[in-house]
Amino acid sequence: MSILTSSDRVVGAASVGRTKRLRPSYWPFVVPALIVVIGVIVFPWVFTLWMSAMEWRIGEEQRFVGLQNYARLFTDVRFLEAMLHTLVYTALSVLAPLVLGTAAALAFNTKLPARGLLRGIFVMPMMATPVAIALVWTMMFHPQLGVLNYLLSLVGIGPLQWVYHPSTVILSLVLVETWQWTPLVMLIVLGGLAALPTEPYESAQIDGATAWQRFRYLTLPMIKPFLMVAVIIRTIDALKSFDILYTITQGGPGTASETINLYLYSVAFTYYDIGYGSAIAVVFFVLIILLSLILLYLRQRSAWNTGDGQ
Amino acid sequence: MASVSIRNVRKSYGPVEIIKGVSIDIQDGEFVILVGPSGCGKSTLLRMIAGLEEISGGTVAIDDRVVNDVPPKDRDIAMVFQNYALYPHMTIADNMSFALRLKNTAKSEIAAKVERAAGILGLGPLLGRFPRQLSGGQRQRVAMGRAIVRDPKVFLFDEPLSNLDAKLRVQMRTEIKEMHQRLKTTTVYVTHDQIEAMTMADKIVVMHDGIIEQIGAPLDLYDNPANMFVAGFIGSPAMNFIPGSIGGDGFTTDGGDRLPLAGRVPAASDGRLAVYGVRPEHFRLADEGMAAEVVVVEPTGSETQMVLRPLGGKAGQVGVGREDRKRELTWVLRERTGAKPGEVVRIAPDPALAHLFNPDTGLRL
Repeated sequence: MSILTSSDRVVGAASVGRTKRLRPSYWPFVVPALIVVIGVIVFPWVFTLWMSAMEWRIGEEQRFVGLQNYARLFTDVRFLEAMLHTLVYTALSVLAPLVLGTAAALAFNTKLPARGLLRGIFVMPMMATPVAIALVWTMMFHPQLGVLNYLLSLVGIGPLQWVYHPSTVILSLVLVETWQWTPLVMLIVLGGLAALPTEPYESAQIDGATAWQRFRYLTLPMIKPFLMVAVIIRTIDALKSFDILYTITQGGPGTASETINLYLYSVAFTYYDIGYGSAIAVVFFVLIILLSLILLYLRQRSAWNTGDGQ
Repeated sequence: MASVSIRNVRKSYGPVEIIKGVSIDIQDGEFVILVGPSGCGKSTLLRMIAGLEEISGGTVAIDDRVVNDVPPKDRDIAMVFQNYALYPHMTIADNMSFALRLKNTAKSEIAAKVERAAGILGLGPLLGRFPRQLSGGQRQRVAMGRAIVRDPKVFLFDEPLSNLDAKLRVQMRTEIKEMHQRLKTTTVYVTHDQIEAMTMADKIVVMHDGIIEQIGAPLDLYDNPANMFVAGFIGSPAMNFIPGSIGGDGFTTDGGDRLPLAGRVPAASDGRLAVYGVRPEHFRLADEGMAAEVVVVEPTGSETQMVLRPLGGKAGQVGVGREDRKRELTWVLRERTGAKPGEVVRIAPDPALAHLFNPDTGLRL
């Protein structure tokens, strides 16, 4: 008995020692990712923050100005307008694809004939290159040569100026954004619809709910978490939108469609005012983070499918 | 409250007939259980009563009104589903009041009905919670509460206890029975668990392969099964079936053992092949009984179950072939026993409680 015990102890001690000696160091696995994150994410942001506190024009001497660039933002009418354009453009570019995408998802969730083919065609805009799309839409928007005005003329509506008039330019750009990104919302919502439990619907049928009431009181609240995901993705995407806007209008006519992104680009790379451009970038970044946090909070609150068994 | 009349009801999916002409009369206030193995059509039949499945043939009438083409909401029924089917994004109170709100019922009336149902089921403290915050048993109670507030003519239950653990199932069984005794609402309940059926029903409908095998009171089915299917399905452990033939004043098993018949020998059946059915609890130790080797002893505390292999003319041999396994018998005894596997016991059935079946048709002789 005692021999067994002592040999056990020996084996035990050896195994502990081996564990210590062979304990792997995880650093070699972490370091490459850490270097990339610091180099690609952390450093540019720290550097941008630093630049935003400088008066930094290319070709001129740099000077530390503290928060002066930020103070300048509040009196810069063009910046405030760009902020308004960004918010309007974002709100419409989220809302329109959300409504249309949800409607499309509900349609594709039924047993349509040739559903797979139609769905394939429907998601095609999402796959196209934004710049190519922008060029095609620029041609379609042309007041004299564009196909859109021709189509309107067929139903007796006079020609519109589309992106060539300050009052319609943002709506026209939203149209392009909606055309391209409605399929994404449709796919997200369709996934949500497919994941819904079926029993509550049978229960609601017995409870006497009409088709509209089933949508209003069951489907809509139950797909809310998926809608919120779509809203988050669309909001971040629309806020950041640059390619379509730059290719079609470059912020024009005048500055009627200039968003923060476009203004930032002009300040930094047309006027070479890197310090002020950096301040705009920082404010823009904070705006995106704040909106994302609010939306993530709302997403969490809308969740109903947590916990077991549901 | 209402009566339900099911007349020659059929259900087909394409060429496949699931329910092959079923007729059941359910009296006002009766608790009827449809029981049968998976795929026998019992849930489909219930869903046809609810209006969730179309009826391919025959009629379903609630209170003498044929409801074949009446939408579920106008049938004045309430259904409790296996997976509870609660509205996951609504509180318990909202879940329970949903049907009433759809009907634009007055708020005061809704509150009173929800409170009453919550009182019956002990859900009062849970009304503000969401389904995900409740246990399985509580969710099932909410599902019942939702049915109660509607004050329907007929309650339909579709395997409501299948998702619960064994202990909770027993507790909920009692609660459902109590609820029925209190409300006296006509109830149709589907289960595959014959214990549930035996303990809760006023009347059991045993279904198999789309047809009704037998309808009757629980103990009636237990004591007088119409055929081998019912005899084997009702009762746990299942009835023992011993093939053999009728001869003289007794029964000779295929293994060569003689079993008593107690004057239940049908006329002119000498030499006729039959199946001798005896419930596990209807064996007793007897010196003159058939010899059987003890294979397994399973004490449960309140009783002991034993699996025996009849030696039938092969005393001394220990067979373990497939045929020997088929002939194995189950014996349940209330007394504790010191019997060990491998020992030989002599047992005899109580002839007054045994049954004879036709081996071809399965019908009781």
